[in-house]
Amino acid sequence: MASKTATTAQMLQRISDEGQKLPQAERRNFLKNGLLLAGSAMTGGAISGKVNAAEENLPPNVPAWTRSLGQGVLTNPYGKPSRFEGNIQRRAVPWLTADRFASISFTPLAELDGIITPSSLVFERYHSGIPDIDPDDHRLMIHGMVDRPVILTIDDLRRFPSTSMIRFLECPANGGMEWRAAQMDTLQFTHGMLSCCEWTGVLLSTILQEVGLQKDAAWVLAEGADGSHMSRSIPLDKAMDDALVVYAQNGEPLRPEQGYPIRLFNPGWEGNTSVKWLRRLEVGDKAWYQREETSKYTDLLADGRARKFSYLQECNSVVTFPCPEKPLQDKGRYEVAGLAWSGTGKIKRVDVSFDGGVNWRPARLKGLVLPKALTRFGLDWDWDGSPAMIQSRAVDETGYVQPTFTQLRAARGMSSIYHRNAIHTWRLHADGKVTNVQIS
Amino acid sequence: MCRLARLSLVLAAFSLSACAADAAGKNDSAGEITITEFNAPVVQPSGYFGYGQDASVEEIAGWDIDIRPDGVGLPPGGATAEDGEMLYEDQCALCHGSFGEGVGRYPVLAGGEGTLSEDRPEKTIGSYWPYASTVWDYIHRAMPFLQPESLSDQEVYALTAYVLYLNDLVEYDFKLTQDNLALIEMPNKDGFFLDDRPDTSNEACMSNCKDPASIRITSAPPATEEVDSDVVEASVAEAASGQSTYEQACALCHASGVGDAPIPGDASTWAARIDAGREALIANALAGKGQMPPKGGQIQLSDEDVIAAVDYMLEVTAN
Repeated sequence: MASKTATTAQMLQRISDEGQKLPQAERRNFLKNGLLLAGSAMTGGAISGKVNAAEENLPPNVPAWTRSLGQGVLTNPYGKPSRFEGNIQRRAVPWLTADRFASISFTPLAELDGIITPSSLVFERYHSGIPDIDPDDHRLMIHGMVDRPVILTIDDLRRFPSTSMIRFLECPANGGMEWRAAQMDTLQFTHGMLSCCEWTGVLLSTILQEVGLQKDAAWVLAEGADGSHMSRSIPLDKAMDDALVVYAQNGEPLRPEQGYPIRLFNPGWEGNTSVKWLRRLEVGDKAWYQREETSKYTDLLADGRARKFSYLQECNSVVTFPCPEKPLQDKGRYEVAGLAWSGTGKIKRVDVSFDGGVNWRPARLKGLVLPKALTRFGLDWDWDGSPAMIQSRAVDETGYVQPTFTQLRAARGMSSIYHRNAIHTWRLHADGKVTNVQIS
Repeated sequence: MCRLARLSLVLAAFSLSACAADAAGKNDSAGEITITEFNAPVVQPSGYFGYGQDASVEEIAGWDIDIRPDGVGLPPGGATAEDGEMLYEDQCALCHGSFGEGVGRYPVLAGGEGTLSEDRPEKTIGSYWPYASTVWDYIHRAMPFLQPESLSDQEVYALTAYVLYLNDLVEYDFKLTQDNLALIEMPNKDGFFLDDRPDTSNEACMSNCKDPASIRITSAPPATEEVDSDVVEASVAEAASGQSTYEQACALCHASGVGDAPIPGDASTWAARIDAGREALIANALAGKGQMPPKGGQIQLSDEDVIAAVDYMLEVTAN
């Protein structure tokens, strides 16, 4: 009986394998489109491809996959996306950084729906590459102005009461290449240093409360175990508010790119403060003025002075459809879509303009509207084929209104690099293509 | 009291809309639920959990590397710029240039005085950094790029002194020590102020917000060239594991030839090495040689990956 069972299983597998070979037409189309898109990414412009449907798969015909056996369980034990989605990739801008170790890649925002960024697609930012850490050999040291200096294992951390929160993560340099002029030609590169996940871990306040804070404690230094020993000074107020020592994102262990096995996460604050591969927390009475809070991540103004400890990611938004990667195919009715977010709390409203900011229409906020999280908005729109200048403008619960580029430059000049949250403009052309522009 | 609302917020949102209205947020309209906060655990007294091991003085000393502007954290020691000159040439000039001018896109360390309010500000240690302590801290913490924490405290003092000397902040023979480092006044020490945003104030105007005739396109990215799919296909087909390892791990130095790294395709830089034989090259790639750390500093690579990268470089050079 055993051998007969095996034979049956083998036969089924063979049938399944054969079935996978059938839709050759799509496979060819996929390869062609995938390569075209991979190539356009290399040169900086990803234009959305449309896979042409093969006649034999369309009604009244019945497609091959419906007339065959599909692949069995455990074909991909940790799962992977459909092979037809090869275009969905993080991408980098080669000229932006000196090498790939202190560098950044961008989330493909145009390809994503809802508010959660899949772990595989969260933008990357490293200062010394991704360390390859065995969690059994990783430790979190907490010392300084505490009653009991302590060394915790990952297992120790997981014993504390856990907290989960859906929050955005944004590099303060997101859009930083656009201060002087429109420079990037895709949404991925104008806004892709942005992601949103469910983060799970232990509130830093729980840990600090456990070890006991001494009088005059005012700052916490967070430090990573990577080669750069990434380090930032965090005010104690934030540490005791909603800062989280994270070991999981979107339900799975943190990805190595995101700080496996543990990272700090400071909701609403510039991503650089959410130190990855966290190894040490030192409590002190003064800030440390580390390289990443003096030389970098300070905001230089036109008069030569610079803003320091500018942690907050202010209210921002962008239209994700249409966009350069997702042009319009034809005249007609569309749901224009976008994302809004604010480091101060919830998004209160988003307005959309199609005429470069002369007139505005309120958009719908969709799904969950969470504080310090990406918020999805949408708006029905009839496109008559005329060129348009599409913008979105978000307002957060403090009443702060996302500024225009003119306002932002008037306040900060051209050399601030960080925290560029100005209203963004997409130029919709008569042929449906979308390009990045800045307007007066 | 809606007890269930203390469950995770996603659960509360989807399954307990009635509870969500009073405990977790409010319903603005059908299908749109707002939730105010995460649910923090109950605050417990210190020592309630008792997890982990006490950190010993020795354990802390091994990891406690931060230096503050007031000098707290500096180890004993001292050195001059003169002491640091050769070391800088050897360890730093590859990327930062002999005069701190920066190579390629690597950071410029010196110069830039008085440029902060200019159109193209140059933010260097001398022109921008507020404290000298950060120089010592960062060199010790993160440099050299390929082998951080490989320098002795004395070497860090020497390099800090030399970098300050490149910025005309100390004399060539000035001995920088744990006692005087905090006393060095950086030119831009008063150039920073605390975050005072919001610094803009827009209004949510809805109609006739500006004169349509005033709208002009002020900038747009350069036009994107059409992609030749055949060329892309060919380049993807050729990509082998040796090449990808080379690009990921080796190109940092070998593409430009910094630190005397032989450049693939440039036979003159390889001649002597090829004479030594493939086995010797592989042995050096695995164990490190000269400026190159073992496996180029990418210790997670398998030996096979490194060998494939060596073969790739040899192949490119032979062709």
